[in-house]
Amino acid sequence: MMLTLAHISKTFGATRAIDDVSLDLDRGQVTGIVGENGAGKTTLMRIIAGEIAPDTGNVQLDGRAALVHQHFMLVSNFTVAENLALVDATDPSRLFRTHRTLERRAEAIIGRSGIDLRGVARRVDELSVGERSKLELIKAIASDPDILILDEPTSVLTPNESSELFRVIQRLAAAGTAVLFISHKLREVLEVAPRIVVMRAGRIVADTTSQGMSAEDLATAMVGEHQAIASIVGVQNDENRATAERRSPSAERRIHPLRCEHISGERLDDVTFDVPSGQVVAILGVAGNGQVELASMLRGLEAPRSGAVLLDGKPATRRQLLGSGAVGHIPEDRTRDGIVAQMSIAENIALTSRTPLRHARGFAQRLIELYSIRAQNASQPAGLLSGGNQQKVVLARELDRRPAVIVAAEPTRGLDIAATRFVHEQLRLAAAAGSGILLMTSDLDEAFALASVMYVIYRGHLSDPLTPRDAAMQVGPLMAGVA
Amino acid sequence: MRRLAVGIGAAALSLLLLALAGAAFGHSPRVLLEILVSGSIGSRFALEGTLLKSVPLLLTGLAVVIAFRAGVWNIGGEGQFIVGALAAYLTSRFGTTAALLAAAVAGALWASIASLLRVWRNAPEVLTTILLNFIAIHLLGYCVNGPLQEASGQYPQSDPVPQAAALPLLGGSSLHAGIVVALLVTLASWWLLYRTREGLRLRATGFNPSAAQYAGVDVNAQIARAMALSGAVAGLAGAIELLGVTHRLFERVAAGYGYAGIAVALLAQLHPIATIAAAAFFGALATGAGELQRSASISSSVATFGQAVVILVLILFGSMRAFAPGRDE
Amino acid sequence: MIEMIIQSLPLAIFASVPLLLAVEGELVAERAGMINLGIEGMMLTAAMTAVFAAQISGSIIAGLFGGIAGALAVAAIFGFFSIRLKADQIVTGTAINLLALGLTGFVYREMQQSAIFVRSVPHVGAAAENAIAIVSWIVIPILLSLMLWMTAFGLRLRACGEYPRAVAASGPSVAMHRWAALVIEAVLVGAAGADLSLALSSGFAENMTSGRGFIALSIVIFGRWKTRGILLGTAVFGIAAALQYALQAMNQSLQFHLLLAIPYVVTLLILCGIAGKVRAPESLGRDA
Repeated sequence: MMLTLAHISKTFGATRAIDDVSLDLDRGQVTGIVGENGAGKTTLMRIIAGEIAPDTGNVQLDGRAALVHQHFMLVSNFTVAENLALVDATDPSRLFRTHRTLERRAEAIIGRSGIDLRGVARRVDELSVGERSKLELIKAIASDPDILILDEPTSVLTPNESSELFRVIQRLAAAGTAVLFISHKLREVLEVAPRIVVMRAGRIVADTTSQGMSAEDLATAMVGEHQAIASIVGVQNDENRATAERRSPSAERRIHPLRCEHISGERLDDVTFDVPSGQVVAILGVAGNGQVELASMLRGLEAPRSGAVLLDGKPATRRQLLGSGAVGHIPEDRTRDGIVAQMSIAENIALTSRTPLRHARGFAQRLIELYSIRAQNASQPAGLLSGGNQQKVVLARELDRRPAVIVAAEPTRGLDIAATRFVHEQLRLAAAAGSGILLMTSDLDEAFALASVMYVIYRGHLSDPLTPRDAAMQVGPLMAGVA
Repeated sequence: MRRLAVGIGAAALSLLLLALAGAAFGHSPRVLLEILVSGSIGSRFALEGTLLKSVPLLLTGLAVVIAFRAGVWNIGGEGQFIVGALAAYLTSRFGTTAALLAAAVAGALWASIASLLRVWRNAPEVLTTILLNFIAIHLLGYCVNGPLQEASGQYPQSDPVPQAAALPLLGGSSLHAGIVVALLVTLASWWLLYRTREGLRLRATGFNPSAAQYAGVDVNAQIARAMALSGAVAGLAGAIELLGVTHRLFERVAAGYGYAGIAVALLAQLHPIATIAAAAFFGALATGAGELQRSASISSSVATFGQAVVILVLILFGSMRAFAPGRDE
Repeated sequence: MIEMIIQSLPLAIFASVPLLLAVEGELVAERAGMINLGIEGMMLTAAMTAVFAAQISGSIIAGLFGGIAGALAVAAIFGFFSIRLKADQIVTGTAINLLALGLTGFVYREMQQSAIFVRSVPHVGAAAENAIAIVSWIVIPILLSLMLWMTAFGLRLRACGEYPRAVAASGPSVAMHRWAALVIEAVLVGAAGADLSLALSSGFAENMTSGRGFIALSIVIFGRWKTRGILLGTAVFGIAAALQYALQAMNQSLQFHLLLAIPYVVTLLILCGIAGKVRAPESLGRDA
C-alpha cells in the first residue's frame, strides 16, 4: 500500500467534516471520489495532501502527493514560465536566471507532462480557462507525485478538454501514479475510475469497483436510500411547461418583466432572451462561460458594451437595475455576495425591504418563521447561520417583496437535499405567484426540475430557446460547444 | 459589553506602559501618573484644557468612524482639517455659521477628490488621502507665507479671524461653543449610522461591499457620500479649532489631530457615542502630557506613544478584525 | 530654470539618499504584498538609534548598525502584528508611526540628560558620502533588480505579493518570505535613518524624518513598483526638494511651498493611471 488512512476525523467548528475514515490506495490505481457538496471530499483530499492535519487518526503516505485545487492556484500577473518556476523542484538552483532560461525550463516541463500547452511567455490572465487548468495539471505533474489528487477538474472544461485530461490520467496511472479524482459528474467518474469511493456526511458509505455500477446506483449511495432522486441527467417532464402555460395569461397579454436584447460584453456575445412572468427560464452552462458577467449586468453592476436590458419592455439604465427593486437577486456566491455576515438577520433583510427600519426586527421575525430559518432570533448575526439558512435569509429577503423578476444563480450550490428542495419549492411558488424567474445553473437536474424554457450558454453564446423535451436531447452537446 | 471592557482595558494598559516607560528612565511611575491625572483633570484649568483638546479629537475621530464604517480608508483627516481651517478663515468675515459651513464643504470636497479617484480610476484612497494631506500642508504653508500672511509680515501666520466670527465662550470659561457643535455632530452621526436606511447601507458597504451591491446598494455612490461626510466632519474640526482656539492660521494648525483621529476611532471601536469617551481620554492624555513636560521635563510626545499603544493593544485583543475595512477574505 | 535644476543636482543626489534607501526597502516589502505605512516610524527610530550607537562607539559604522538594529526592532513589531496576527497593515502601520514618534521624542529627551550626550556625533567624510551615494543610487538598485527578477527567491517573494495562496499551495511559506522582505526593508530603512541623522545632519531631532517615509510610499507608486521607476521618482522628488533651497537663496521662498506640492500632485495623477496602466501587486496590503 502506498497510502493508508486509518480512522481519520476532522472537525471544523461545530461540523464534523470527516468522521472516522479509513482508506487504502495502491500504485497505479485511479479512484473516483463522489459525494454531495459538503460530504467531506475536499477536506479528505487536503488531509492526504498534507495541507491540513487530521484531529485524530493516522496518515501513512509512501511518497508525495500533489493536489490540484478546485480553484486556480495561479499567479495571474506572472507568465506561464514563472508559474512553473514557482514549483520547479528540479531547478538546478543557479542563482541568477533570465526569462529565457525560465521559459526553456518551462517548455521542458510541459514536454515531459505530455500535455499540450504553448506560449509559455504569456501571462496567466491572457490564458483561457481550459489552458489555466492545463497549467494547474502540469504544475502538479511536474513534481512527479506518487499520488495525484484532482478536485473537480472538469467543472470548467469542455468535453474535448475533459477527454484530453482523462488520457493524461490513464497515462500517469499506467506509469504507477495513484490518481484520486473528485467529481460530481457521475458518468465521468464511471468512465475514468475503476474504483469508486462514495462519501456522505464525512463518512465513506461505499467503496466499490465501477464494474456494473450505474449513475443511478451511485446517486442512491450518495444521498442515502430514503432520498433517492429521480434521475441524474434525467429527463424530467414537460409538466413544468404545461403548468406554466396553464397559469400564464394569453399570449397577447403576456408580460415580459425582463428581456435582454443583443447584449454583449467582455465574455458575452449577442445574448438575447426573454423571461415571461410566471415562468422559470433556465440558462444552463458549465461555469466560466459568461454567467458571472450576465448576472452582474442584470444587477446593474456593469453596463453591456452593446444591447439593452429591458424591464417591463422599457430599456433600464444601470441605476434603475440597481436601485429600483424590480429585480430580486439570489447571487451565486452567497457568503461573498448574499449576506453581510457581521450584520444581524434583521439588518440583512432590511437592506432591501421597504419596511420602516423601526419595524425591521418584527418583520424579520415573521420571515424567519415563514421560511423556517433556523436562528435564535432576528438579531443574530447572519454569519453565524449555516449555509442553508443563510441562503434562506437571502431567499426570504428577495422573494418576500415579490419582485417582478428574480435572478437566481446556482441557488442550491452546496446545500443539502432538504434545503435544495426548499429552495426549489420557493422558486416554484414565486413563479406561481407571477414572478418571472431566470435560473442560471450548471446543474442539469435543477434546470429540468424547474424550468419550462431553457437556454444553453457556451463561451458567451446563448443557444436557441429549448423546451425541456428538446433540451434532453441537445443539452449535452450544446454545453460542450459541439452542436 | 465585551467591547467596552476591551476599550477600557486598552486605555488602562496604555497608561500602565507609559508609567513603565517612565520608570525605565528613573521617573517614579506614581508621580508620573499623578502628574498625568492632576494635569488633565485635577483642576478647573486642567479640565478645560482637556475638554478643549477633546473637541477636535472627537470630530476627527468621528470622521474616521464614518469612513471606516463605510469601508473607506480615510487617512486624510489631517488634510481635510487643514482645508477646513483655510476655508473657515477665508469666509470668517461672513460670520461664524458661514465659516463653519464653508469648512464642512471644503473638507467634503477635499475628501471627495480621493473617493472620486477611487471610483473613477480605482486609485486606493489610503494612498490618495495621504498624498492629499501633503498637498494641503504645502498649500497652507504657501498661504501663511504669502497671500494670507499677517499684515505685519513678521511670522508665517495669518492675522486673527474677526472677533465676531470667533466661537462664543461658554459662561466665563475658556471653553467655546464648538464643544456643543461637536456633541451635536456626534449624536447626528449615531442617528445616521444606526437609525436610518442610509446608515444601514453605509455599514453594509463597509462590511461586505459585494453583498451590499447585490442587495441593491449603489456602493460607489455610498462610498462617495461617506467620504464626503467624513471629510465634512474633519473640515468642521479645523474650523472649530481655528474659530475657537487658535484664531490664526499657521503651518502646524492641524497638529496631528487628523492622524490622532484614527486612534480615537479605533479606541471607540468605531461607535459614534463611544467616540466621546475615546476623545476625552486622548484629550486628557495630551493635556496631562503637556503638564509632564512642564513640571517633570518628560517629553509631551508620550501622548502619541499612548495612542499607539491603544491601537496595538486593540489589535492584540483581536477586536479590529470584525470591522477592518477593505478585507475580502 | 534648467540651469537651476542642473545646479541643484549634486545636492539632490546626496540629500535624497535616505529617501532613496527607504524607497528601495519599501519596494521589496510591497512586492511581497506588504504596504508598510510605518516606514516613517521605522526611519525615525533608526535615525535615533544610529545617533546613540555612533555616540557611544565613536564610529560611523557602528552608527549604521545601530540604525539597522532600530529599524529591525520596528520591523519585528510590524511583522508580529501584520504577518503573525494578520492584523490590518494600514492600522498597524499607523500605530507604528505614532509609536515611533512618541517613543523617540520621549527617549531622546531622556537621553539628552545622560552621559553619552557629552560625546560628539562622529562626522561622515566626503569620501564616505560619495561611496554611500554610489551604493544607494547604483549598487543597491542593481542588486535588488537581480534579486527580485532573476532569482527563485525573488520569484517567490513577488508571488507572495500577487497571490500568496498559490505560494502556500506549492510549498514555501508565505510568512517566511514576507519576514525576509521585511528584514531587507529594515536593513535599507535603517541605513536611510542612519544616513539622515549622521551624514545629512549631525544628530537627532524630534520628527526629523518629516514625512520622508510617506514620500517613499508615494515614490514606489510613482515608480510603478519597478526599479527604474523608483530611481526616476526619487530623482524627481529629490530635485524638487533641492530646488527649494535654490529658490530660498534667490529670496523666492514663497514659491517653494507650491513647488513642493507638485511631486505629490504628479504622484496622484500617476496613481490614477494618467501615464499608462498601473499594475500594483495584486495582494498588496492583504494578509496571506
